[in-house]
Amino acid sequence: MSISRDAATNLISAACQYLDDEDWDAFLNICDPAFRYRITVRSPEIKREMIWFNQDYAGLRDMFSVIPEHLRRLGTLLRHVSIGHIEHQAPDMAQVTSTFQCIHTDLEGRSNLLAVGRYLDDVRATSGGLRLAARNTVLATRDLGVGSHVPI
Amino acid sequence: MPSRNSIDWNAPPKLPATHYTRGDIYRDEAIFEDEQERIFKKVWRLACHESEVASPGDFRTLEYAGTPLVVVRGQDGVIRTFVNVCSHRGARIVHQPAGNMRHMVCFFHLWTYDLTGSCTSIPRPEAYEKQNLNKDKLGLREVRTGRKCGLVFVNLDDACESLDDYIGDALEAFENVLTENDLEVFTYQHATIDANWKEWQETNLDLYHEYMHVALRKTQIDPKAMNQRELKVYPKGHIRGGGSGYSANYDGYSGWAKREDSKALRGLTASDFRFTHIFPCSSMNARGTIMRISTFTPLNAHQTRIEWRGMSPRSDSEDDWAMRTEHYNQYWGPFGRNVPEDLMAAELCEWNFGPAAARYQIIAREEGMRGQDDGFLRAFYQRWGELMGRSASGEGDTP
Ligand code: FES
Ligand SMILES: [Fe+2]
Repeated sequence: MSISRDAATNLISAACQYLDDEDWDAFLNICDPAFRYRITVRSPEIKREMIWFNQDYAGLRDMFSVIPEHLRRLGTLLRHVSIGHIEHQAPDMAQVTSTFQCIHTDLEGRSNLLAVGRYLDDVRATSGGLRLAARNTVLATRDLGVGSHVPI
Repeated sequence: MPSRNSIDWNAPPKLPATHYTRGDIYRDEAIFEDEQERIFKKVWRLACHESEVASPGDFRTLEYAGTPLVVVRGQDGVIRTFVNVCSHRGARIVHQPAGNMRHMVCFFHLWTYDLTGSCTSIPRPEAYEKQNLNKDKLGLREVRTGRKCGLVFVNLDDACESLDDYIGDALEAFENVLTENDLEVFTYQHATIDANWKEWQETNLDLYHEYMHVALRKTQIDPKAMNQRELKVYPKGHIRGGGSGYSANYDGYSGWAKREDSKALRGLTASDFRFTHIFPCSSMNARGTIMRISTFTPLNAHQTRIEWRGMSPRSDSEDDWAMRTEHYNQYWGPFGRNVPEDLMAAELCEWNFGPAAARYQIIAREEGMRGQDDGFLRAFYQRWGELMGRSASGEGDTP
């Protein structure tokens, strides 16, 4: 049975909400052990594809564990996702292409667009339910202001 | 001493004028305009790396001190820089950040310029004859361009000193790294932040703020090695940090691995950490396997645009490239552990200096130009003062 659109939508919504809430454990719980999170962007300045973030499951877990010690962008992020094409690659695998806007809300409650781009998500059906097997965030935005200690 | 009342708070610190700055240098619009004229329009400023304009026709655009520029390699191999403004009615000629072109054609009325800046064609030129105007008089404005160790610098002042005289020996710590590795730019990023340019520059020059960075606390701060860190100040405000006290153990940070000496750039060991700043806004940083060149542009008194270029040897294999990307991103990428903290620090200072909540800042650490001495900050503000004809402390200003 192939992965339904509803199930994929729920998984991607949950992934974004856990990241928004900075509930790192919950986020890792819906990721496959082989999960990889990449953020890529094309630079017209040097005419190259660049990788700005690239962590596997263990790397993310280590990184998340140190987050509270860092001086970080204040406020919260909200990842607004619109799910587009779902391509079924195998009975238990699908690639989901979404567009997203990541909105930053500061401590005064003012919201500003931080970044836009596409999520290319690999989702896998397992006996424990649907898992995120890979995320490639393809950024259109290249000026991220102060940047971010957490992936977008 | 207990807390202070408003009189004490607003009084200049009881320190030599070299050891503090006054808040209005970060917000006063007239000072900002003065900086544009007296500093940024007079100094050599990093434009790009020559690998970005490697072949004839390759170009790169940039903008600073309110001046759009295009750096282009001519068919003769010479790298020149022009103000990216059409002689006719002022339109921007080249729009892309980089590319290759055979000549420059203005989109508006199709005036055309060759890569030496000469105007080569004007549609229906005869209508200008009555006014004795012809293309020979309508070339682009060329800007001084210099090259050193593969770095391309520009200067908006036609009467400026040579690039060699300006830099002197200040690139000595990077000469080997820059010339022996056949470098190209493998990653590039820029960011606009809400901070005065000096608030940003201070994060480059203030050694004491290392403690703010978790990654540095875990990988490189060794109080016992502070004496082996050397601060060197060159003429014209350039500076260099070096010495054996600067080295890093990257596996100190959760999830990071040790860097192998075999993967270090030529001229460095894997644990080496070096930096050099060319006054007022161009920098080189090296961390063993990776090197970065950076520069910034003050946009107005409260905004600054910063650019970073990660450099790698052209001969890198895919694996080397992946390793260098990983090492670069750990500290310096937009999702790295350090750069977002420095950018935040600059913005958080702007929160207070911008609206005048903060009055003075203290740059009074003295450790004999070792360790976390504030000597770089004092050297920077001394040069700033010489060019501006005023003290950053406000001393000597009429109240
Ligand atoms: S403004 Fe460039 S051709 Fe007219
Ligand atoms: Fe820093």
